[in-house]
Amino acid sequence: MERWQPSAEILALRSDHQASRPALGAERAIHYTQFWKRESTNLQPCLLNARALADHLARRTIRIHPGELIVGTHTEHRVGAICHIEKAGWAMLEDLRRFETRPINPIRVDPQAKRTLTRTVVPYWLNKNLAMRAFPLREKVRYVKDQLGAVDHVVNEVGGVAHFLPDYARLINTGTEGLRAKVEQRRAGPGLTDENRDYLDASLVCLDAIDDFGDRYRREAERMGRHDLVEVLQQVPRRPARNLHEALQLIWFFQLLIQIESLDQGVSLGRIDQYLHPFYSVESSSPDFDRGRVGDLFAAFCIKLSEIVPLFSSRVTTYFAGLPSGQAASIGGVDERGHDATNELTFLLLDVIDSFKTRQPNWHARVGAASDPEYVRRVVEVVASGGGSPAIYNDDVIPKAMAERGVDASKVWNYATVGCVEPALPGESFTSSDAAIFNLAFSLELVLGGGHALTSRSAARRPWLADISSTADLMRRIEEVTARRLSELKHSLDAVELSGATHFPTPLSSLTIGGCIENATDSTRGGAIHNASGIQAVGVADLADSVAAIDKLVFRDGTCTLAEMADACATNFRGDDLLLARARKTAKFGNDDPQVDRIAAQLVEMFDRCVSAHTNTRGGRWMPGFYSMTCHHGFGRKMAAMPSGRLAGRPLADGLAPVDGADHLGPTASLNSVTSLDHGRFGNGVNVNIKFDSATVGDDSGRMALEALIRGYFAQGGMQLQINVLDTDLLESAMRDPDSHRNLLVRVSGYCAYFVDLTPEMQQEMIDRTRQHA
Amino acid sequence: MTAPTAPVFDIQRFSIHDGPGIRSLVFLKGCGLNCPWCQNPESQSARPVIGFHRSRCMESFECESVCPNKAIVRGGQRVDHDLCSRCCKCVEVCPTEALQLIGETIGPRDLLDRLLVDRAYYDSSGGGVTFTGGEPTLHAAFLTRALELCAEAGIHTNIETAGKFAWPDLEPALRLADLIYFDLKILDPDAHHQVLGHDLGGILDNARRLADGGFPVEFRMPAVPGYTDTIPNIDAVAAFLHSIGRRELHLLAYHNMGEAKIEVISGDQPRLGLPCYPDDSIRDLRRGFENRGIATI
Ligand code: SF4
Repeated sequence: MERWQPSAEILALRSDHQASRPALGAERAIHYTQFWKRESTNLQPCLLNARALADHLARRTIRIHPGELIVGTHTEHRVGAICHIEKAGWAMLEDLRRFETRPINPIRVDPQAKRTLTRTVVPYWLNKNLAMRAFPLREKVRYVKDQLGAVDHVVNEVGGVAHFLPDYARLINTGTEGLRAKVEQRRAGPGLTDENRDYLDASLVCLDAIDDFGDRYRREAERMGRHDLVEVLQQVPRRPARNLHEALQLIWFFQLLIQIESLDQGVSLGRIDQYLHPFYSVESSSPDFDRGRVGDLFAAFCIKLSEIVPLFSSRVTTYFAGLPSGQAASIGGVDERGHDATNELTFLLLDVIDSFKTRQPNWHARVGAASDPEYVRRVVEVVASGGGSPAIYNDDVIPKAMAERGVDASKVWNYATVGCVEPALPGESFTSSDAAIFNLAFSLELVLGGGHALTSRSAARRPWLADISSTADLMRRIEEVTARRLSELKHSLDAVELSGATHFPTPLSSLTIGGCIENATDSTRGGAIHNASGIQAVGVADLADSVAAIDKLVFRDGTCTLAEMADACATNFRGDDLLLARARKTAKFGNDDPQVDRIAAQLVEMFDRCVSAHTNTRGGRWMPGFYSMTCHHGFGRKMAAMPSGRLAGRPLADGLAPVDGADHLGPTASLNSVTSLDHGRFGNGVNVNIKFDSATVGDDSGRMALEALIRGYFAQGGMQLQINVLDTDLLESAMRDPDSHRNLLVRVSGYCAYFVDLTPEMQQEMIDRTRQHA
Repeated sequence: MTAPTAPVFDIQRFSIHDGPGIRSLVFLKGCGLNCPWCQNPESQSARPVIGFHRSRCMESFECESVCPNKAIVRGGQRVDHDLCSRCCKCVEVCPTEALQLIGETIGPRDLLDRLLVDRAYYDSSGGGVTFTGGEPTLHAAFLTRALELCAEAGIHTNIETAGKFAWPDLEPALRLADLIYFDLKILDPDAHHQVLGHDLGGILDNARRLADGGFPVEFRMPAVPGYTDTIPNIDAVAAFLHSIGRRELHLLAYHNMGEAKIEVISGDQPRLGLPCYPDDSIRDLRRGFENRGIATI
């Protein structure tokens, strides 16, 4: 079949989209504040949040842009960063004075809005935002201090939860009407508490608000004479979609509304080539089927998804650079009987990924032994063309890992991914898969510093080190410290979860998650069928390398004592070049070295043990994951030097990958170290990012090698792989001249970003790492 | 009988240009020819040697205190190779890998273990192991045993040779290999003798025997400016290929990265000072062969 290519119209639409610079979506913050001031004392929490949302949606500025095929924006701007003022949006406004002038990810702010935010909105929420309501006064101070420039962990749930797979497979066939019938039936049923009733009433308010919002766009389309759109908007979101266009419009409405209500992170699309295939198959059998136009529709959908830009302050950007929003879309995989499920739509979507590169969605391809070889070949071809998409997921490992973590084994074949990398069952899971990111490497610094950062004065004399006389002792200490830190994290996270559930439930989002209506309970309060929380470890490789270095230099060779090593780390090896050189010469994770790999495996097991001991407030388990967003930069910046020879302030390793530059035997050795770890444990997913220079893998033998690399890695139990094929010359010119390279996409830890949106440190990391593998 | 051993100076993994699939290249040390353009000068002598990377040296001179043979010299190339017994004590204490053993002597079983780590990738790509050098055929007994072990393990094998070997010694190995890459260089007997210091005759006999005997052999030629790409040499190579019924040739573009390695081993190979083989000259060369009825790869 001929490859799809974007039409001139859709390319023009993308240019218009890219020409719109992100602007602060202040209306939500302003409307919510006005509503809260008026009504917060009169309404139950679910109803309060639903009514505030409805009020905002009724008043929000709306616009349909020329040439749009799918309509609706999540803010009053075309490309917007929404401010969830009652949650983390409040803290992000620390950048209010410099959003426009900051060098990385500038955001336009309307002067009038800026004034209102400063004078009335920010002061109002000072003590009412989610984080501030979570803690008693004394803890509040500690919490704020910890999270400003975090080194220990980042609690993501202060922003809300999101991170789930709305039940789009069902929604496209019910519309809001179907949901309304279900809610009303439940509302009429027996055994409801006041809280249940509050939730169900709120659900009905949300359904009306969705319909009204759709009607506003329909009227706007009528006014503009866009009859094609009017026809679509007469049907959805109320009624079931009748074709692909209506289905995509309906999904987009929910997608944007969920992100207005809850949080613009990790709201994921699920197996889009599967649940939309019935529509595709009907349309493609019609004589006037226009495949080009269907491709254009999906391209228009990708543009919509890319309109969502997170509102991050500069401080937070270090941890989450590249404007991630984590709207994952899965393709490929198997059906209920375990047979390959790829279809014509899968291939069309691969054409879209190949020829129409956009920042979102976060494309994920499921690949396994059952996959159609032609599909795998095409996936590799698309990956090799650059842009970092799709990331590839192992169908022969992930379902098993999920079943081991208590997910219904009869359903795991149907998994999709959430956010960056996290597997979950579509439509029924509320996994909070990005609940927190935890700096595992920091445990060693705390062991060496006796509970303090190594650079703090309290850690200057270190009598406690005398008790550590073997690597086994050291590992025990690391586990004690890790367990203690995770208990502290649990304390904070519980407080944040409860604060969210109490004050800011999300009834609209909950409508799309199986179990909430049946249980008459909001998703933030445990209404979903399947609950969990994902806790990510960062710095596994650095920690393994450091333990290996101590094992060799302190306990085996006696080159230095542990106290001397701690001193060297505290002073950033100043004046001890020889020890630094020796530290660097010790074996590193990523080179097939059985000893270091074993240490890494022990650390991963240890982290799993410590994490899995906990449950969340929604009745779900904690699940370990290994991905870092760009927290490996954020955390690394605040850390002292490490015994591995990593200097102070340097980034930690990305995700589960070896330390940059430490793996000098090539990609197979690097991946062998990664697969020496038991991926069955990684219930919340991993990210393994490898980079190639386009000169190395651009030809046929290069593509063959990439495919074989993926297959070999998967055969050994690897869970996920994302491959960046980069042209270093191009990256360098993009650093010099960002304006001419706005379209250059690269894959960061778990998501794609425009290269020019990254921090200079991240940009340099990309270039160096690609060179190293050339 | 003791197991045969050989000096291995590198195992390069994830190689995708030396035979089918993803391969590990086993570099054996020692070569009977003396190509002035040699890209692995450290491979020429079969003797293991302590290499010295000056730019990495921190001048801590711990090597000096551990060396039992007083072979460490502060000036010059650091190691006096005549005094050195290659005990590797200095390599161990060197904090930075400035000192390195080039040519670790290992047995075939040990080698196989090191190769098997990439088994999954050989299998997924239809790849395997390529024995190269130096001249791998210099280590006939070792090579035969290593190829046997690979065959038992089901790993595809390839030998890269310049063809200077005694047929009876090598025949068992050649029969085991799944693929043989045979390099043709300078085919004028006088010029061959003059530049490479050896007779050409035996090499061409071996090439012919392989081709006639139905061995899985493919022919290659390094494109070295002024040495192998002259019109008379193109004529001679093409004519030879025709004479053994072959119509295909792999061309390998010369690169000058090997010259930086000469200093590391205190080698005395003269530097050619040639640039890497330019892309458009390669195109001309391809055309030259194609005009003579030889397809190039
Ligand atoms: S290898 Fe042994 S003998 Fe040779 S220089 Fe080093 S320490 Fe001296």
